[in-house]
Amino acid sequence: MSRSYNDEQAFLEKLDRNTWRIKKGFVPNMQVEGAFYVNDYLEKLMFEELRNACRGGGFGGFLPAMKQIGNVAALPGIVHKSIGLPDVHSGYGFAIGNMAAFDMSNPKAVVSPGGVGFDINCGVRLLRTNLDEQDVQPVKEQLTQSLFDHIPVGVGSKGVIPMLGKDLEEALEMGVDWSLREGYAWAEDKEHCEEYGRMLQADPNKVSSKAKKRGLPQLGTLGAGNHYAEVQVVDEIFDMHAAHKMGIDHTGQVCLMIHCGSRGLGHQVATDALVAMEKAMKRDNIIVNDRQLACAHVNSTEGQDYLKGMAAAGNYAWVNRSSMTFLTRQAFAKIFNMTPDDLDMHVIYDVSHNIAKVEEHIVGGKQCTLLLIGQPVLIGGTMGTCSYVLTGTEKGMTETFGTTCHGAGRALSRAKSRRNLDYQDVLNKLADKGISIRVASPKLVMEEAPESYKNVTDVVNTCHSAGISKKAIKLRPIGVIKG
Amino acid sequence: MDERYYDQSNEQKAIQTKYPSINKRFEYLDHTADVQLHAWGSTLQEAFEQVTTAMFCYITDLAVVEPLQTMEIEAEGGDMMSLLYNFMDAWLFNFCADPFFIPRELKVISLDRVNFKIRSIGWGEQFNLDKHPQESQHD
Repeated sequence: MSRSYNDEQAFLEKLDRNTWRIKKGFVPNMQVEGAFYVNDYLEKLMFEELRNACRGGGFGGFLPAMKQIGNVAALPGIVHKSIGLPDVHSGYGFAIGNMAAFDMSNPKAVVSPGGVGFDINCGVRLLRTNLDEQDVQPVKEQLTQSLFDHIPVGVGSKGVIPMLGKDLEEALEMGVDWSLREGYAWAEDKEHCEEYGRMLQADPNKVSSKAKKRGLPQLGTLGAGNHYAEVQVVDEIFDMHAAHKMGIDHTGQVCLMIHCGSRGLGHQVATDALVAMEKAMKRDNIIVNDRQLACAHVNSTEGQDYLKGMAAAGNYAWVNRSSMTFLTRQAFAKIFNMTPDDLDMHVIYDVSHNIAKVEEHIVGGKQCTLLLIGQPVLIGGTMGTCSYVLTGTEKGMTETFGTTCHGAGRALSRAKSRRNLDYQDVLNKLADKGISIRVASPKLVMEEAPESYKNVTDVVNTCHSAGISKKAIKLRPIGVIKG
Repeated sequence: MDERYYDQSNEQKAIQTKYPSINKRFEYLDHTADVQLHAWGSTLQEAFEQVTTAMFCYITDLAVVEPLQTMEIEAEGGDMMSLLYNFMDAWLFNFCADPFFIPRELKVISLDRVNFKIRSIGWGEQFNLDKHPQESQHD
């Protein structure tokens, strides 16, 4: 469809300061409307993406997030709305930060791996300690170095926790229960983990041997891209009651945040499913607006196989985060000469960004079982900027089924960052802020620089003012390790 | 793309000067979440080779990879797009899992446009963290 930028405006309506409505007809076949949450600055970015796409011409280019939200609204079985949360930007089929719910009782409802994402169960885990900033500042460099030495990071890195094929099978099936059995996790960790760190419908047989081959050497590694481990300090508490429940009671308290997922295994599970589903779509006559929205009926063999494989990949990611928790506990213990137990390094929460879940919700006054794609509540900022912990709200449950933004969302592409930002400058700016950093790849430093991302505070404040979640705690980094 | 060499060690510099420079007919284009690889060639085969090279250049500095071993990769697909995807995925898979092979250069031996099949060979070596710089890959 090539409409001019001005013609596209006819389908878009601003409802209030933070909310836009996408009317049917914006893209063909929309079953429901679309919506997205922004503030003034984020709004500019969204429309700029749309304008650039309308200009067209030449080669390359990608669908703007707004169009993708529309295309998702055209998927069979979708209910309520296709929603773009404040960090929304262009992704694979679905926009990143795009939530959709499908009515399981509708035989036409579909599941799409692009919606979950290639990094299945990429998520964030927050640990607390009983240390304060003044305990950590004098040994900040050594602590960051210790973390970097304990945790394998970056492209091509391999795990240090011994694993054989049989271990991997068990880990895929049992998730955090495997880590617990092997002594890498504490029993309490499970309780603060989404799904208790184990999705019960996981079936390791639905994970291909290719995926297992990729996953085996990578267990317990951080990976690359936007994954990180950060030593953070509680900077501000907005909601004392919520903070107390998490074991946070004063500013200056030191925490550790780990952001990573299922590495190559999840990636392969998604790839395998997409290939199988492309064939299924021809067979079942499923039509979508975008090839990247390859999907299958939820109740078809391909759909069910994917959900079981996805759950197994999800378990892998939880085992990964548990392994990394184990390694970071060791790193801290080494520097402070105390056991992790004495340091009180408990898991505050572990939440997934890339997952599909089945939940009961009220839609239009009726209780429905929905397949939800898109998730969380621990918001990681970019390297060197703050992170937030948010809590859900009533409005959030009805508007977005309890989904909120997951991060800062990129503003500059990776290629542009590499061109325009200087590695030493980025590191100097971080050092000026008192942040210690260790990276495996200098080029990654530019791609991941704060300047390449939207302002996370903008994103979080938009969620807060749109009423879909509430700020609880703000955290400030003092040590960062990245792949 | 700017080629800036950050802390290239003496060994790495030596390897770079030892072999002819990599033939690059590609560029990276903007994408907010990831990267677009744009490649070209005088034949479709060359374009396939170049886009795969572009992928590996993003992951590490290919100038520092030595052509010590060979690997053959075959792929097939349902149409041209899935053929290209499966081809690149097959090369990526051999990098991510055993034998962790990274090709400095690769050549398409045959490309069947009717049945969507491809055969290729690459010259490179096993990825080694001590030797090759880690660049970027988004998992």
